[in-house]
Amino acid sequence: MTWHSFFSLSTMESRHLLAAYAVVLVIQIGYLWRIVSQWRHTKAPRN
Amino acid sequence: MEQRTPTLRSVAWLWFAIAVAVLVIGFRQAIFLAPTDAAQGDIFRVFYYHVPIAMLSLLFPYVNFIASLVYLFWRSRDPLKALTADAMALASAEVTIIYTTICLVTGSIWGRAAWGIWWAWDERITSVFLLWLLYVSYLMLRRFSSTGQTQTLAAVLSVFAAVDVPIVYMSIRWWRTQHPAPVFFGGPDSGMAPAMLPAFFWNLAGWAIWGIFILIFRFALERRRQLAEQDAALQAIEASLEIPR
Repeated sequence: MTWHSFFSLSTMESRHLLAAYAVVLVIQIGYLWRIVSQWRHTKAPRN
Repeated sequence: MEQRTPTLRSVAWLWFAIAVAVLVIGFRQAIFLAPTDAAQGDIFRVFYYHVPIAMLSLLFPYVNFIASLVYLFWRSRDPLKALTADAMALASAEVTIIYTTICLVTGSIWGRAAWGIWWAWDERITSVFLLWLLYVSYLMLRRFSSTGQTQTLAAVLSVFAAVDVPIVYMSIRWWRTQHPAPVFFGGPDSGMAPAMLPAFFWNLAGWAIWGIFILIFRFALERRRQLAEQDAALQAIEASLEIPR
């Protein structure tokens, strides 16, 4: 498989393969982003 | 404490970099190097993400289970230790939901292309959906319960939720399901072609390292919150004890 065929939207199989990989990355990166965002808004405890 | 923080931060960045590097190798293996499946074609490549993440989604509930038991043990003996265990229980419940959600969604996307349907109420898919619902209920309980026993109730719920994990694992062994038979440990007919194994194991390693990273990061966030709340409570007590001049 090549980059071209990975991003090809010509068949249902290729569309669904791209969608599956995109969903995984979006959910994982989105969750990490949420944690980072909340970390920045939480006050560090006193030493 | 001041020296520990930069060291922990360096370890966290290193762990994150390793996770990303292993996932990049896994992606390259899965998309460009693994052979095309003779029966399913390229849609089979969904499995290189779906199967490792599905396997890991059955491990994180046990972190939650053990942390909940530790919480129940310490809650009256040492409340500070119990709070630490509770932070781990919460973090692992969230990571379980993330991994289970991905498992359900990628399975559904694959199913539409391979079977022609998005969903089937078979034993495997239904039991995974039930696992997802149980951990969503766990988080809802923690968020909306107004009793003073929320953490205890959540810990007890998590013990019951863990019972679903072996049912999920055994469902495709006990019953004949729409879901494919086990890829590993499923008898003489199970297994994967040797040329496909590197893609599978790189992604299993990558998503495991990533999962541990987000689990510990989420745990650290919850501890930071707990300590900030304790600080605020202490400051309020100190302020109330100040004698007005």
